[in-house]
Amino acid sequence: MATNIPENLKYTKEHEWGLLEGSTLTVGVTDFAQSSLGDIVFVELPEVGSELSKDQAFGVVESIKSVSDLYSPVSGKVVAINEELSEAPESLNEKPYESWIIKIELSDESETSQLLSSDEYQKICE
Amino acid sequence: MKQTSLHSKHVNLNAKMVDFAGWSMPISYTSLKEEIKSVREVAGVFDVSHMGEFLIEGEGAVDFVDYLLPCDLSVKVGKAVYSPLLNQQGKILDDLILYKLAENKVLICVNASNEEKDWKWIKSIHAMKNFNCDLQRVSDDFSLLALQGPKSESILEKIGFDVRNLDYYEVVQSDGSIIARTGYTGEDGFEIFCNHEKAKELWDNLMTQGVTPCGLGARDTLRLEVCYPLYGNELTESLTPLDCGLKWTLKSKNSYIGLEGIEGYEPQYRLIKLSLERGIPRKGYKVFNSVNECVGEITSGTMSPTINKGIGLALVEKSKILADHNYQIEIRGKMAQATYHKKAFYNGGHK
Repeated sequence: MATNIPENLKYTKEHEWGLLEGSTLTVGVTDFAQSSLGDIVFVELPEVGSELSKDQAFGVVESIKSVSDLYSPVSGKVVAINEELSEAPESLNEKPYESWIIKIELSDESETSQLLSSDEYQKICE
Repeated sequence: MKQTSLHSKHVNLNAKMVDFAGWSMPISYTSLKEEIKSVREVAGVFDVSHMGEFLIEGEGAVDFVDYLLPCDLSVKVGKAVYSPLLNQQGKILDDLILYKLAENKVLICVNASNEEKDWKWIKSIHAMKNFNCDLQRVSDDFSLLALQGPKSESILEKIGFDVRNLDYYEVVQSDGSIIARTGYTGEDGFEIFCNHEKAKELWDNLMTQGVTPCGLGARDTLRLEVCYPLYGNELTESLTPLDCGLKWTLKSKNSYIGLEGIEGYEPQYRLIKLSLERGIPRKGYKVFNSVNECVGEITSGTMSPTINKGIGLALVEKSKILADHNYQIEIRGKMAQATYHKKAFYNGGHK
């Protein structure tokens, strides 16, 4: 299965992507993830201001048949959520790398070193 | 893992294959949403060859099945009948469709997940005394295709089948195949039992006609939209037909397997239909009544693309049902207000 893995992003083994800008990490799900899930029909988002620790479940994406947890790639505070996903969850299928889910203000910048490069993530998808 | 005669066709279509009851089966081909829409609006075809078939033949065939099953066997030749299969205590072992092919010939189609169990059970009943009929396990002899959707009749006519005069829940034998106007989607459609070679040819013909290949994922959502039960979810061995909305399948007759468990039984449960405006009920989610008492749980749940709501069936304790029918579903620790439905979430267009 051909899967799109942009080089400028960071990844997790839970098939999420992260875009690091300053001390803010924007998080979404990868092309591989959306393709495996199938038609995404519901997204549950955390509240802005909530504190997340690394690997904590912060939300849920549901396809017609399945429920999958979203895990925070880093520790920090949720500073923004993509509310458009409530009305248009299918955009996660259509544009996985434009449809961000949350933005996290990092509380421990050293954790970003544990994120995977596109090459490392590619190997997980094979 | 067992493979159906159409396995390579599914693989060539890039279907997502899953292990279902020991069979490698397509769960979806492209998009579940598209597959569901095709069946509701045009036509889709399902490979359901994993299902089990038993053939009862001989002078006593109808009498034997009449004793084996609680349903009405006094129907005309050429009728199909839906029935639960019960144990001696009246609890549900499986649900099935029987096809009365002749006065001395009945075909029974059962769930793949129960085929082995059903075979042993039915064989043991058959061995109880001389019913003057033969019982054969023919699951491996048949492929089974389900063509479902409003255009099913015209498509079959185009490829040489004469099915215009076949009514809903009727069955006909033709050229070694068995064609029934039955299905599991609520739409008009046909189920065709045939040998494996014919199945491949029929599949190809249906593809040429532009029929959408559909997987078990679409099938499950389609059946839930019209509130058909699924064995293992709504129907289990701890329930009688009176606990889960199958009273209508029981014919009043003097004797059948399970009658002693049914007679005088006070139902303990009821299946109810709930939908959510936001969120999706899932199997195992707890259901609460208006005084915050847990009344049961969701047995099947899905997003319904057809009505664009989360829908689910729930098995609830009868004694905890309140007149207001105000229910909440617990989702990840939060309560979601449900809408109670008296009727199915969606009415298919079956004849």
